[in-house]
Amino acid sequence: MAIKYLDKYPKNLAKSLWVLKPQWTVLKLLAKTVRHRPVTVLYPYEKEWVPENYRGRPGLRFDKCVGCGMCVRMCPTACIKLVDATDDDGKTVRRPQVNLGRCAMCGYCAEYCPVDAMTVTPEYELAEFTRFDLLYGPRRLNYEKTTPGMEVKLEVTLPSDIANGNPERRVSLFALDRPELTDSKCIGCKKCAKVCPVNAIEMVEKGVNDKGKPILRPVIDNDKCICCSNCVDDCPKDALKIKEVL
Amino acid sequence: MAYSSILNWIDFYQNPMSNAYYPFGDIYNLPFDISYKLWELIGGTIAWLINLIFPGNPVSIWLMDDAACTLFALIIFMLIIFIVVFVCTLISLWMERKFLGRMMDRRGTMVGMKGFLQCVADGLKTFMKENTIPGKVDKMTYMWTVSLVIGVSVLVACMVPLSDRWFVVNYDTGLLIIMAFFALAPFFILVSGWAQNNKYSLIGGMRAAELMISYEVPMLIMIGTTALLAGSFNIGDIIDAQYETVWYIVPQIIGCITFFFAATAESERLPFDIAEAEAELVEGWQTEYAGMKWGLIMLADYFRGYVACAMFAIMYLGGWMLPGIGDGPIPEIVFLLKTWFVFFLMILVRAALARVRPDQILNIGWKVFMPLSVINLAIVLLLKVGGVF
Amino acid sequence: MADSLVPVKEIEEKMETDKMWVIMGPQHPFSHGLWTLKVQIDGEIVTDAEPIVGYLHRGWEKETENRTYPKVIPMADRLCYAASMTYTHLYCMTVEKALGIDIPEKAKYIRIVADEVCRIQSHLMWLAAVGTDLGNLTVFLWAMREREFFLDLNVKLCGARMTTNYPRIGGVRNDVTELFDRDILRTVDRFEKAMWDIIALMDESSIIVSRMKGVSYLTREQVANLGMTGPAMRGCGVDFDIRRDDPYDNYDKIDFEVPVLTEGDSYARYMIRIEEMFQSCDIIRQAVAKVRALGKNAPYRIKTPTKVPAGTSFCRLEDPRGESLMYLVSDGSDKPYRLKVRSPIFVNVSTSKAMCQGCRIADVPAILAQIDMCLGETDR
Repeated sequence: MAIKYLDKYPKNLAKSLWVLKPQWTVLKLLAKTVRHRPVTVLYPYEKEWVPENYRGRPGLRFDKCVGCGMCVRMCPTACIKLVDATDDDGKTVRRPQVNLGRCAMCGYCAEYCPVDAMTVTPEYELAEFTRFDLLYGPRRLNYEKTTPGMEVKLEVTLPSDIANGNPERRVSLFALDRPELTDSKCIGCKKCAKVCPVNAIEMVEKGVNDKGKPILRPVIDNDKCICCSNCVDDCPKDALKIKEVL
Repeated sequence: MAYSSILNWIDFYQNPMSNAYYPFGDIYNLPFDISYKLWELIGGTIAWLINLIFPGNPVSIWLMDDAACTLFALIIFMLIIFIVVFVCTLISLWMERKFLGRMMDRRGTMVGMKGFLQCVADGLKTFMKENTIPGKVDKMTYMWTVSLVIGVSVLVACMVPLSDRWFVVNYDTGLLIIMAFFALAPFFILVSGWAQNNKYSLIGGMRAAELMISYEVPMLIMIGTTALLAGSFNIGDIIDAQYETVWYIVPQIIGCITFFFAATAESERLPFDIAEAEAELVEGWQTEYAGMKWGLIMLADYFRGYVACAMFAIMYLGGWMLPGIGDGPIPEIVFLLKTWFVFFLMILVRAALARVRPDQILNIGWKVFMPLSVINLAIVLLLKVGGVF
Repeated sequence: MADSLVPVKEIEEKMETDKMWVIMGPQHPFSHGLWTLKVQIDGEIVTDAEPIVGYLHRGWEKETENRTYPKVIPMADRLCYAASMTYTHLYCMTVEKALGIDIPEKAKYIRIVADEVCRIQSHLMWLAAVGTDLGNLTVFLWAMREREFFLDLNVKLCGARMTTNYPRIGGVRNDVTELFDRDILRTVDRFEKAMWDIIALMDESSIIVSRMKGVSYLTREQVANLGMTGPAMRGCGVDFDIRRDDPYDNYDKIDFEVPVLTEGDSYARYMIRIEEMFQSCDIIRQAVAKVRALGKNAPYRIKTPTKVPAGTSFCRLEDPRGESLMYLVSDGSDKPYRLKVRSPIFVNVSTSKAMCQGCRIADVPAILAQIDMCLGETDR
């Protein structure tokens, strides 16, 4: 490729009459801006166009959310917290609350949301009078004009697929990895079934033990599972482990 | 006298020149005429009112006396002169902001009246600021020097005549006196830099002094050249001489470019504002001044810029005369338009160029502008000896 | 006129004058960010200079040790506000190296595009700073105006202007968005035309050229001894660019020139950066063509394991400001054990004594503008 600028400069400045060329350049721009308008955007009155995927404050679609806590897990600034909220049927559910005073607008919550309930929104005027006002509860996080473009899809290609000559297959990150049980460690405490946000874990009797009591083991419904790894975290005996598909 | 009606007191159509104490000799002075008539209205009304309460008292009669009229008219005259200069300076300030904005592809000020009211808003804002004085400065020098810088700048701005009927004094050495006052401010800047007990201010003050020394000389040579060409230091005579022959920008083209840059340096505007070079010396000699003091210093800068442009218009652009037309109905406007045009060129230079380093400034001053002004003087001498002018 | 280099010793011997320490910073118009330059001056001539950094220390390296690997990416954005893309890229490359994986071709080219956009906007920011330091505000606003188009490109690509958070371990966050390739080519074409206006303002003005020409010479030996890198190094005659000499991603498949000048003065360092912007335009054109050729369905992100095997890895990359390097020690968990950043500015700013000595105090901003200070990465 050619050198573009160093070929022409430094110039003999006597040829450009020392200081006259810059003045001519400035004068040209003056003529242009007097005729048209300067490029300034008068911000509070005019606003720039922002694309759909603009990363403003996080938004939440209350009904889609399952309360898995993936956003809490992935948030780099730890500004998301799961709080109790009442859903439309009057039941108490766990939903994320975002402290926008700490939010870094990185979009990780939207990216890692397995059910695409968290979205990015193009809302960026977030000033409030107190710090308390910056706490966005689950209902306040709702953004009415949410479009499909605001969901951030996390689609990956498996290295094994590329090795197999099938590089065009893209899968969601949450459709692959599943928790795997180490049978010898499990004590059948049912904790995993309780914390599972999508009720993918069912405790199934697998015979009886020496004392005649039933042995309970979790069985994971792979279609329902969203790979939030809550069960892995809450397992008291480390019996569950995410098995990564690569 | 039967002083019963108010009209007996107000002699509105009296010619101020018929007053025995008329201060301008036999030259008609428009602002004095206006202020004289204003005083006729104000003073006449006051005298009439006092006379209604205490009929036949001496105060009323004294108020409308020739001497008292001249005295009070002079006070109003000062106000008028100052306000006109002040407004002209504010307009040039507005011009700078607006044109500079457009040259930089932005909008410039936008507060009211196409941004003109921003000057008022700035004035109010600086006025509201707390008047802080740093602890370890030499307080008296600190306050006095800044007052003198501002005062001298305002004085010299007021002394620039707008036309042959709009002037303060009409000395035979008018040009020289204006330049003398114009060159006075850097002394105070130097002292102020010392007084502030601040390294930036000290360096800034020193730079102001070296700038003044190196640019005063070519400037004075150029003024002498113009005076030589016109045969007089009187501003009116210089302009008349330009009307009779040709604008002096034609024979003194070298001199006029040199004078333009020297005047830019003398009024401490970019690219020659090394005394307050904000890149290295926070605000130079103004670093420790806050609030209204700083606001007035800024205003004084623009007064000086206005004076420099006015001098350019007087010396090279024919002042208030237009070739072929002469005075015209309102020569003041013609003069101001020329001044603002020169100011526009200054804005252009400011937008296009960067700040010059101090040693380069001295080099340019002594090694470029000085010889150029001497060459200009030689050309003028040749023209004068050759009998062209 | 241009000769501002005065032999310091001669002056010292002739005059018994007091020297004065002028402290420029941390709140000084010339310091772009919180740092201090102590300058010892003798009249107007600088006899000594001492940079003081560390006002912005946030414990970045320590903080990464408490975060899982993906969570460090948004933090790497905050290392340098002007070069967020390259730092994120560098971090992802380091982790990928530790994982021993190879990322898809498309991701490599998209990263190149994003890096070069980042380089242009960072250089434009530097140009703006040079404008103000030399006292010309027009250059500042014109350069900032051009920069805005590149920030708009960032918005179109990943939804944020400056803290882009775009590269990911194993690829990039999202595929190039619709019409992005068209927009970027238009922007680059437009920029190449508009750049000549700014050049006319800078290089055709004898004042600006004489301010920069002939001040603060550095020889190749000095550059080597002081560890200076980046465009400033190339302006001193060292022909080295990591993009060409130690290529990462797919820079070896792209044809571009590395501008080198042997003058070694402030003006040479300035010219290198201007030329680099034009070269970046060329790189963007080629990389976008490659991205287009790969088609829409090509993979752009591969799945990576969450845990990094125990071991160390380091990676280096040509930042807009010089050579930045990250050194990762992992202990087999999902969090880094230690992450060390080598910031180019931290090393480059230590040359300020060598650069400023013998110059005038008015030159100091013009000289240090060529370093392109960015305190976020310096203090970390």
